[in-house]
Amino acid sequence: MASAVQLEHVSKRYRIGTVETIALDKVDLTIAEGEFTALVGPSGSGKTTLLQLIGCLDKPDEGTVRLQGQDITRFSANQRADLRRSRIGFIFQFFALIPVLTAYENVELPLLLSGVKPAERRTRVHALLKAVGLEDRARHRPDQLSGGQQQRVAIARALGPQPLLVLADEPTANLDTANGQQAMEIMQKLNQDTGTAFIFATHDPRVINYARRVVTLTDGRVIEDSALAEHAV
Amino acid sequence: MPLHKLWVLAFRDLGRNRRRTLLTMTAVALGLALLMVMNSFIAGIMEDSLQNSIKLRTGHLQLRAPSYSEDERSLQWGDLLLDPENLIAQAATLDEVKAATPVLWANGILATVNESAGLQVYGIDPDSPVYDPIRTALVNGSFITPDDRSGILIGERLATMLGLQVGSKVSLTIVDSEGQADEAIFSIVGMFATGIPTYDESAVLMPLTKAQGLTNTNRRVSAVVLLLNDQQATSEVVAAFRSSGLQVLTWQDLNQFFIQTMQTGMAFYVLLDIIVMLIVAVIIANTLLMSVFERIREMGILSALGMKGRHLMQMMLLEAASLSLAGIAIGLGLGLAAVAYLATAGIDFGSSVASSGGDAIALGSTIYARFVPDVYVGLSLATLLITLVAALYPAWYAARLEPVAALREA
Repeated sequence: MASAVQLEHVSKRYRIGTVETIALDKVDLTIAEGEFTALVGPSGSGKTTLLQLIGCLDKPDEGTVRLQGQDITRFSANQRADLRRSRIGFIFQFFALIPVLTAYENVELPLLLSGVKPAERRTRVHALLKAVGLEDRARHRPDQLSGGQQQRVAIARALGPQPLLVLADEPTANLDTANGQQAMEIMQKLNQDTGTAFIFATHDPRVINYARRVVTLTDGRVIEDSALAEHAV
Repeated sequence: MPLHKLWVLAFRDLGRNRRRTLLTMTAVALGLALLMVMNSFIAGIMEDSLQNSIKLRTGHLQLRAPSYSEDERSLQWGDLLLDPENLIAQAATLDEVKAATPVLWANGILATVNESAGLQVYGIDPDSPVYDPIRTALVNGSFITPDDRSGILIGERLATMLGLQVGSKVSLTIVDSEGQADEAIFSIVGMFATGIPTYDESAVLMPLTKAQGLTNTNRRVSAVVLLLNDQQATSEVVAAFRSSGLQVLTWQDLNQFFIQTMQTGMAFYVLLDIIVMLIVAVIIANTLLMSVFERIREMGILSALGMKGRHLMQMMLLEAASLSLAGIAIGLGLGLAAVAYLATAGIDFGSSVASSGGDAIALGSTIYARFVPDVYVGLSLATLLITLVAALYPAWYAARLEPVAALREA
């Protein structure tokens, strides 16, 4: 399968005052299209930083990041914004919906940014809300939805522009077991139905069970990369 | 992203902290309303004073002998116009002229047994419509007639100051054309109250022929005063008298001191306008900056979704525009209501304020606001513009947020 994203010797350092911290240290990683991959590791291991670099939210200090073979390492802020809008979906730990918009409008937002025509927008938003089981909550604002429902809206929003890959940072961390399980099942189904690659950073062993590949990070390095057999929930 | 969708987002963002939004809108509205009232009063003062002066003192145009000086109020024959009937007849042929009348001015001293006051004597044609404003301002007694030999009109305020009534006898002393002080006894036949304290305290009106006799000016007058049907037609009438060899003075020339004073004063009022607008701008900038700080995480999310800096900037500017437009709408409503009331009821500042401008400014005791729609449009646009300028920094701040940093703020 073709590679969706490829990292070659990628390093990222942060400086706080005079102290420099290495968040990623010469990471090499390739994610193929349609993968369902978990990034695991303790806090501070570099999972979130890795997602940010893959997601074009940040630039590496060293190394190269390629998206579908295209070197995006030195892209400008506007070019990276274009890439995020068209090819990358995000799901955050804190749901990250826009509070003044309804569920429908939140899902519609990236489509508006992408310039999708109104009729197609309507079709896609309804289909996605249906896919996450929230068609009847379309007119509700985030504060009228439960945490689980909000995260499902965020999943639908991430899938709106039909991205190449969806990046999820601790997507179940703020959900109870049932809602976490439901969110993972939805993501897994959408991965299978749409062929969109999912990469999620997590601590949660129940989430790891859904992954078909698990990449383990420690101190900014990939220490294990294992493809798993079909999981049993 | 379509602008109308950005506008929806911006508009709803304003609803998050309704109290703050309302307070900011109120600040914009009150600022604009205050400026509207202030500018309406200034326009009222300017226009009313000018019209009062034209109506009671200067007319729209004056024809004078070349050597006549208003400051000296000369009564020497060479400084006066002899037999002005030709000029009046010429003026009467012009469609733009409503009325033309001769007038003789002199300085005098009015004395009673106990009091005296320096004043200005107007020798007038009592039948001329130029003096209709005085006729309508008559509060006591009757108007003088052309053949009145001893009757004069004085202001009610002067009468009160000197303790006079209709029928009272007074002594009037005038230095005549030969420099001799001539005294005559007059009877007060009527009193007027124009509402302009400086006029009501200092003007004495008597028939022209009587004034000519008293001053020994022998059918001569200080000027011919013209009232026009339309103030805008002044230049056409000036052109008609340009070849007469006389001084042809327009209402602008005759009220030069007042107009210059007001123009100088306008600079101060413009400064006030700017100060009020700057206060509004600071409030708007503060509100939007607080709004940005509270929503840094959301800015990061929008940025992660692919919204570009310029869209974030547009969104903030649209918020500012929404705030400003709502404030302007309320401000216009408040301002128009206040001006409508003050244009009818006015504010009585008292005669001391009205007199403070001296003879050159015919300010009434009660000042009325005047509708100045073009000024309101200008103020509204300036308010919108200044709020957008004030929003530039918060908008720029939002636009340059790095998505990672913004998400980390969360």
